Amino acid sequence: MALIEVKSLTKRWHTDRLALDCVGFEVKQGEIVGLLGHNGAGKSTVMGIMLGMVRPDQGEVRIGGVSVQQDRPKALAQIGAIYEAASFYDYLTGWQNLRALCSLSGWWDEKEVRRVLRLVNLHDRANAKAGTYSHGMRQRLALAQALLPRPKCLLLDEPTDGLDPEGIREFRELILRLRAEHGLTILLNSHLLAEVELMCDRCVILKAGSKLYEGPVPSRQENKPIFQLQSPDIAKARDIASRIGASMSREGMVELPPHLLGSDIVRHFVEGGIRIDGWQQHRRTLEEFYLEQTGL
Amino acid sequence: MSLFFSQLRAEILKLFARKRTFIGFGAFLLLEIVILFLFQTKGVNRFKSLIVQQGEAFEKYYSALTIAHIVLGAAVFLLGGIYLALVAGDIVAKESEDGHMRLLLARPVSRFRLLLVKYLTCALYTIALVQFITWSAFLMGLFIKGWGGGYFAYSPEAGIAAFYDWSEGLGKYTTASLCLSFAMITVSSVAFFLSCLPIKPAAATITALSYVLIDMILRNMGFMEDYRHLLLTHHMAAWAKTLAVDPQWAVILRSFTVLVGVNTSLFLAGVVVFDSRDLKS
Repeated sequence: MALIEVKSLTKRWHTDRLALDCVGFEVKQGEIVGLLGHNGAGKSTVMGIMLGMVRPDQGEVRIGGVSVQQDRPKALAQIGAIYEAASFYDYLTGWQNLRALCSLSGWWDEKEVRRVLRLVNLHDRANAKAGTYSHGMRQRLALAQALLPRPKCLLLDEPTDGLDPEGIREFRELILRLRAEHGLTILLNSHLLAEVELMCDRCVILKAGSKLYEGPVPSRQENKPIFQLQSPDIAKARDIASRIGASMSREGMVELPPHLLGSDIVRHFVEGGIRIDGWQQHRRTLEEFYLEQTGL
Repeated sequence: MSLFFSQLRAEILKLFARKRTFIGFGAFLLLEIVILFLFQTKGVNRFKSLIVQQGEAFEKYYSALTIAHIVLGAAVFLLGGIYLALVAGDIVAKESEDGHMRLLLARPVSRFRLLLVKYLTCALYTIALVQFITWSAFLMGLFIKGWGGGYFAYSPEAGIAAFYDWSEGLGKYTTASLCLSFAMITVSSVAFFLSCLPIKPAAATITALSYVLIDMILRNMGFMEDYRHLLLTHHMAAWAKTLAVDPQWAVILRSFTVLVGVNTSLFLAGVVVFDSRDLKS
């Protein structure tokens, strides 16, 4: 069942620039979906519309069956979000910031707040002023506020922006843990393709306001194994490959048909007198797929 | 309803957690001391002749209440508008500029409710500030003249020069200060409305102050005699009319009704403008 339904969103800015052109996709319960695209592709605009901060010219977003455009408070009661750079009140402590934000949700439970602060590893700095927090601590506080009170779904807009590699890894592990333990549905907008690849089940790629792709993260599709052949006899190897129903590029990338194994084609090459310097399975990365899709 | 009050409480706590809020109260205290010092050294003789000319005893009517009245009027006139415009001009515009609004509106709360909470916070802050000035000025008066005496309520703009005994004077002073608190909410309302526009917080503050200043200048222009009822400061000045021996309550009520209408309209116009805005950096 789709928890988030994004339906035919169109948005034109006052400058007449088309920000979104009939963009639609779904996020099912328990899924982690990555929203990808270059700067200005429309990712943050989609997020803004999902949170009711940006008004679409056409289309709507439904969260748990409730339209954000028609009943924003009810729709948003089901989600937690980090939208653009989280800006906290520097003169309040982390705890006071959470209290001020939670009051808008009409909820406060000290025990649960402490649990979430421990979860994001911020419990020992909760009483320090937010102005004294490092960038990583601010991001963790942003995640803590998104997790209060327990949402069904998280919308995360560039949550790892500016974090160091260790911080990014911790964040990824936390997100995966939240999904595993609480069945959270997560929509993640990120520039870090490697992270999206490691975290997400599916991805949506936007370019210049249009949707280019919606589907599984390509590297997770194992139904078309690709191998890389290193050999001085590539031209001859291509003939052999085409004879047995496999396709092979000039660079030595061999895509196998479903009835053949990697070992079968190696045998054919050896019997055909091909010298093999190297043979390894190649997994197409999300980055390669993304660049291919966006034509960059 | 309890949800609304918990949101209002959080907004008030947020405002009072800022150092600037307390610096403001401190600045007013300092200003009151300066006004008092200048009055004691330079203005008291002129004031003495005013009281004596009315055939009353200066010793009786130069009291804590009279001193408090002078300090209150001058402090609110000199700094009250500026400080209220600064706070109300910041309350939406600064939060939008700093990105706090994106964090707040990612919560299940309507923009109307969020702005209502902020507007009421501005209104409560206005009342708190004016009451702070009222009673700190009174304490200063007590420090200099002690308890008791009379009260010479003097407001030439409202045509008031009235003498009261201590207890009646205390009641008049309290009523007038509450009416002044209410009147000053209008300054906050103008700044709040401007704060809802997509402009810088400083622009909201400066524009609000400019508007009130121009309004006040126009009120004192002869050619505006027939149009004074159109000016905000004309209605705001109704607070001083409560100091008359026999106040014209109908006139005062009419002015305050106009202010309620203006404040409500400014709030709703602010909501409409803010509601139509896309909040994205």
